[in-house]
Amino acid sequence: MNGIWRIPAALAAVSTVGLAAAIVGDGFWHWICWAGLSIPLGVCTVKLWRQWPSSQTRATAE
Amino acid sequence: MTPASLRGWRLVHRWTSLICSANLLILCVTGLILVFHHEIEHLMGEGLDTSHTEGQARLPLQTLVDIAQKADPTLVPKLVSFDPDDAAANYIYIGAPGVRDFEDGRWVVLNGHTGANQVLKQPEETVTGFLLKLHIDLFTGFAGQMFVGVMGILFVVSTVSGLVVYGPFMKKLAFGLLRFGRGARIANIDLHNLFGVATLVWAFVVGLTGAILSFSPLIISHWQKTELVAMVGRHNEPMTGTPISIDQAAAAGLAAFPGKDLAFIAYPGNDYSSDRHFSVMVRGHTELTKRLLSVAMVDGETGRVVEAADTPWYITVLLLSGPFHFGDYGGLPLQIIWAIFTIVTGVVTVTGFVVWLRRPRMRTAPAGIADRGISESKAGSKA
Repeated sequence: MNGIWRIPAALAAVSTVGLAAAIVGDGFWHWICWAGLSIPLGVCTVKLWRQWPSSQTRATAE
Repeated sequence: MTPASLRGWRLVHRWTSLICSANLLILCVTGLILVFHHEIEHLMGEGLDTSHTEGQARLPLQTLVDIAQKADPTLVPKLVSFDPDDAAANYIYIGAPGVRDFEDGRWVVLNGHTGANQVLKQPEETVTGFLLKLHIDLFTGFAGQMFVGVMGILFVVSTVSGLVVYGPFMKKLAFGLLRFGRGARIANIDLHNLFGVATLVWAFVVGLTGAILSFSPLIISHWQKTELVAMVGRHNEPMTGTPISIDQAAAAGLAAFPGKDLAFIAYPGNDYSSDRHFSVMVRGHTELTKRLLSVAMVDGETGRVVEAADTPWYITVLLLSGPFHFGDYGGLPLQIIWAIFTIVTGVVTVTGFVVWLRRPRMRTAPAGIADRGISESKAGSKA
């Protein structure tokens, strides 16, 4: 698998596991679900945070 | 992929997305609120009161049915339904005698422990009911529901085609690159690509299950007209004697599927049963099995189970679509995550629309602008 698809495929995999986990059971499975589905949202947040114009300006100034 | 096929996929992505975008935004806004419908109903005092004292026994089903019938003595019981998440909530449908369908009757909601009769408000009279109706059929009934279903299919095609065009577009770009300094169109393309690909599986699943749920009247009707009719047809003796009580029918149905709970019981003589038999639907206990139904046909005179079967695969798919669309199967944290995904999907929709609005218009633009348009188009022709 080339570089274009590596991260999207990983996000798709954790999303799928996350979606399926909570339907399998409670407790531990709920945590797997929350973690799995939080990862894609976390990646979006980190990418946005790091490249947001004001944060880049701040980084340059530092 | 050849340039011609890539152009084709881009066209598919552009037009499927554009056609469903307005409806998708409505679905995102209403869906975002409906994720918390239990909490909103509780806050607004619109939830059912199923309170009872610790250890208080459930009333016999026959007693509940008798109470329901008192709401309108001209009507007869047709269906008794049980809430999987609140065992104390019983929904009893009463309708005109001799009528097989469920068009002109009414629901009576009872507390299964106290028998307290609760008025079930019309959907339009509650906040969540209003939003749900808007979400499901845009207040236009069956036609609206089918329209929303078609929009759901377009959205699914849009996500798949978006994935196809993502690869060639990202060939020379790092994952998640956001070029805010390169103009509004480029920034929107990058946001669209990052948010779109990161939430693609969730969007695909929610879109697909939404489309399946929209077509539920057709799916249930198909089941009724094929497998249920065939099942009923194998047991078409008329009722001649005194019918058993609904409690006896329930006990017989539960005995056919040990360890399961009641989902609903259809009285003899309606669309879900034969003229002589009760249809007793049961479900399991876990998050997964409580979505799956099995049916036992119980002879209305002898109380004997004459046939027992699981629902066909397409009904199972329909039943499983519910949790994967509403996100109500993993507690409050999952509801919050579901809401954030919904917001991100809204952002993907808006950024995609902005990219299309700001597309380069090469045919009408002066030469200099057209050149710039081509370079921008190379940089971002996703939408």
